[in-house]
Amino acid sequence: MLLDVKGLRVAYRTVYGDLEAVRSLDFAVEKGESVAIVGESGCGKSSLGHAIVRLLPPNATYEGEVLVDGKDVFSLKGRRLREYRGSDAFMIFQDPLNSLNPVKRVDRQMLEAIRTQKIMRDEPYDEEEATKVVVEGLKGVRMPDPEVILRRYPHELSGGQIQRVVIAMALVMKPKILIADEPTSALDVTIQAQVMKLIKELKAEYGMSVLFITHDMAVAYTVADRFLVMYAGELSELGPVDKVVTRPLHPYTTALVNSIPHKSKREGDLVAIPGSPPNMLAPPSGCRFHPRCPKVMDICNTVNPGVKQVEDRLLRCHLYD
Amino acid sequence: MESKDTNKAGRFRLFKGKSHTTSVSVHNEAEVPLGESSGLRFIAGFIRRDKIALTGAIGIGIFFVYGLIQGIIEMAADYTHNLALSYVLLPSNPFQFNFARSLGAPTLANFPVGIFGYDETGRSILSRILYAIPKDALASVLIVVSAIVIGMFLGISAGYLGGWADEILMRVTDAFLAFPLIVFAIALSLTLGNGYVVVLVALTIIWWPTYARFFRAQALTLKSRGYVEAARLSGLSPFSIIVRHIFPNAIDPIVAIATLDFGNVILTYSTLAFLGIGVQVGQPELGSMAASGLQYVPRVWWYALFPSIVIMAIVVCYSLLGDRIQDMVGGRLSY
Amino acid sequence: MLFVARRAVNAFITILIMIALMFAIIHLVAPTPEDLARLYVGTHFTVPELVQIAHRMGFYQPIYVQFFNYVNGFFHGNLGTDTQYGIPEILVIEEYFPVTLNMVILGTILGVVIGIFTGAIAASNRNTGTDYGIKAIYLGTWAAPVFLVGVFLQLILAYELNLLPTGQVANPTLAIPAAVTGLPLVDAILAHDWVYLYSYLRHLVLPAITIAVISFGGITRLTRATMVDALDKDYVKLAYMKGLPKRQVVWGTAFRNAIIPIITLMALAFAFTVGGAVVVEDIFSYHGIGFFFVNAAYNLDYPAILAITVIIGLAVIIANFIADILYGVMDPRVRLT
Ligand SMILES: Nc1ncnc2c1ncn2[C@@H]1O[C@H](COP(=O)(O)OP(=O)(O)OP(=O)(O)O)[C@@H](O)[C@H]1O
Ligand SMILES: [Mg+2]
Repeated sequence: MLLDVKGLRVAYRTVYGDLEAVRSLDFAVEKGESVAIVGESGCGKSSLGHAIVRLLPPNATYEGEVLVDGKDVFSLKGRRLREYRGSDAFMIFQDPLNSLNPVKRVDRQMLEAIRTQKIMRDEPYDEEEATKVVVEGLKGVRMPDPEVILRRYPHELSGGQIQRVVIAMALVMKPKILIADEPTSALDVTIQAQVMKLIKELKAEYGMSVLFITHDMAVAYTVADRFLVMYAGELSELGPVDKVVTRPLHPYTTALVNSIPHKSKREGDLVAIPGSPPNMLAPPSGCRFHPRCPKVMDICNTVNPGVKQVEDRLLRCHLYD
Repeated sequence: MESKDTNKAGRFRLFKGKSHTTSVSVHNEAEVPLGESSGLRFIAGFIRRDKIALTGAIGIGIFFVYGLIQGIIEMAADYTHNLALSYVLLPSNPFQFNFARSLGAPTLANFPVGIFGYDETGRSILSRILYAIPKDALASVLIVVSAIVIGMFLGISAGYLGGWADEILMRVTDAFLAFPLIVFAIALSLTLGNGYVVVLVALTIIWWPTYARFFRAQALTLKSRGYVEAARLSGLSPFSIIVRHIFPNAIDPIVAIATLDFGNVILTYSTLAFLGIGVQVGQPELGSMAASGLQYVPRVWWYALFPSIVIMAIVVCYSLLGDRIQDMVGGRLSY
Repeated sequence: MLFVARRAVNAFITILIMIALMFAIIHLVAPTPEDLARLYVGTHFTVPELVQIAHRMGFYQPIYVQFFNYVNGFFHGNLGTDTQYGIPEILVIEEYFPVTLNMVILGTILGVVIGIFTGAIAASNRNTGTDYGIKAIYLGTWAAPVFLVGVFLQLILAYELNLLPTGQVANPTLAIPAAVTGLPLVDAILAHDWVYLYSYLRHLVLPAITIAVISFGGITRLTRATMVDALDKDYVKLAYMKGLPKRQVVWGTAFRNAIIPIITLMALAFAFTVGGAVVVEDIFSYHGIGFFFVNAAYNLDYPAILAITVIIGLAVIIANFIADILYGVMDPRVRLT
């Protein structure tokens, strides 16, 4: 087991009271495995990712345990934490256009990553050698003319190029687990497909585990081994991609699967699910999905179903009690 | 610049500090907490929940309610030529000389007349401060509101018309902003003639350019978002469309800017009074009281100190409130 | 270069508009040639005398000729004659302005440095005691009227503790070093007049600190805001992901981006402090342009008031221009446009 999340809770303090973005979440990711986290906007996917790399904003509180390669992430401090970031886990953030520092050239930003790693491992840093590694990394993401790209400022790159630079950075860092937060949401469809292919290849080539965050099941289907479906901060269903897609058990998963547009892989058609996402400040009582659930029962209004093992899946639903 | 302003308004509705509106912003609308919409209602709701903002708001409320009542009384007294009426609410007659207690220290005797001490002619400093407050309250409201109105008209016109009109407006605001407030205010009010009204006019002339820039930016964003085209296609006047769409977008940032600006006006106004600009002899004025008091510092510290503290307290209240609202509008206050 | 040229043209147009503004104000206040003459030479003249003066000064010419003369005069340093001293304004300004400039620049730099650092520290410790402490301080100084700050510092540091002189530019018994640049600081160094320099610096401390105290609040506030925004950006998170220590992320990545918008504010801060200098110089009897300006205001010396206003406006426009260029240097995104 490379990543083990136990009883994770993430809450944000707001002027309107506490907002529970992730609640009693348990799951694990094996080495070389890739898990896609899917769910509507605001269900806590990014919060989960940020918690794993310990980059939650200052108003967040977190409880529970996250183990990465045996390291208790929440107890890491100072240098140990810095070593963990980058070499154990690396996260690609949601907003590609803001992922690079606008005032520094691309080469400086990529070299900085290598230098930091070298310094932490007490290894000598050689600029020329590092540049070679960086160029290799860019070639690895099929970037044409890496040398030219390196001399540019981020505003001189397209969104797809920036995203590839960031993925190349991940390549260079060789983390054990890569968390990719909607790496394709701002890209157009062709580039989106390229990036997905890239991540898949990386996984195969380096045996990296991948946590792939998206709200688009169709996209996730192409890269992931398992789906983790989240609703309002909670796990709804966790299982192998094929089974989840062909025979979803949770009514929310069913709704998500039905909303996948059949022909094109265009994103963002989750609107088709009736009802609106819950107000996270005052989530519904009982099962959080019950106001929108077609199969709602009396018990759903009052009792939050626990997580149960059903066949080879985890489920949070009263239908399978 | 242009897109930033609207972004702010937009982000505030998302109520979290991120700007990833690109992906699936439709859903985010549902995140508006407790179903409240943008605008004044939301700001009011926020103030009620936030201790710091509430403190400021209460202070400002007292300042205005008092300023309004006392101001009306003073005007009525002026109108009926009945001086005694003007200080019915005050602990004592603010114009009453009493050389026996000239420069008297703060005292509890004759409470509350003497708690802030007495000036060089033995007048109660407390009463004089209370008498002076309506002028500051009126100045802050009048100047900021007229600046907003003028700025709105010029800024929206320039942004809408674009081209030369726009270029000229920008350069004119540059020219206006090049004059330091106090310097320009002194130059203006002296050339226009000395007096309270003149100071109000001078400050208004100085104050509008920032607002013009703000509204110009708003108009430009709307234009770039195709509102003008849409209006043409639907047969409506583009100008009225812009005006109609600017209000909902502009109201949050404007409230934030204006709240801070009220404080700035009071500071500038009292600094002018400190230099003797716009002050009528014998009339109490916070800034000029401080100026007179300074001659007796350090032995007589209360004369200059209390008027200054009152100015500061008012401005602090405005800053507390304005600062919080600005943070909220800027999306920097998700908590 | 195109960028610089464009900004220069903008600055020049702004200067022209500013002059036009001044011209318009003067002519609005004094609609007739005789009024104008009175404005320029003072009230103690009879009407026939005024008519004669107005003729001599060209006030009977068509308005556009007058405007041309005014602009022309401005660029040739002809800003009118002082009614108090009877010498050309430009000489007065030449003598007093550098003194103020020296003080204001120092005060502004001090204020900006304090503001930037407190703002950045507050943002990187958001919602902690440090943040609230800094906020309390800057809201206090921001809300404090200039005169209160000045007098308070004067009282404590000069009268009570006797650490610093209470006023004046330098010890008046000392001979002023020969004017080479006009800036007393530089002149004293050039003349190797260390005694004067020491006295000058000691006298400079209080006004400069006052200027810094009143001006840093706005900078703190904006820096905190831009810094909070920057710290929230994904490139900052990515910097953490590289394993960089917090210190480097905060100061190397976030700060570097957060101060770019502050540069524009610096020019505004300069304008603000020049305004503050008027009061500060009055309090500390600091004989700079502000002191002279207040004096002119008391004596209704209109040529002086108008000339000084225009010159200060000019200085601010130049400061703005410099800030614009700096902005271009700091932000790669601007350079190309
Ligand atoms: N800094 C914050 N302060 C307060 N609330 C926050 C903060 N960040 C996120 N939230 C809230 O926490 C919830 C989960 O947010 P999160 O960003 O994890 O969602 P997400 O699933 O990644 O959504 P998206 O698909 O839009 O990225 C949302 O309701 C959001 O409003
Ligand atoms: Mg997200």
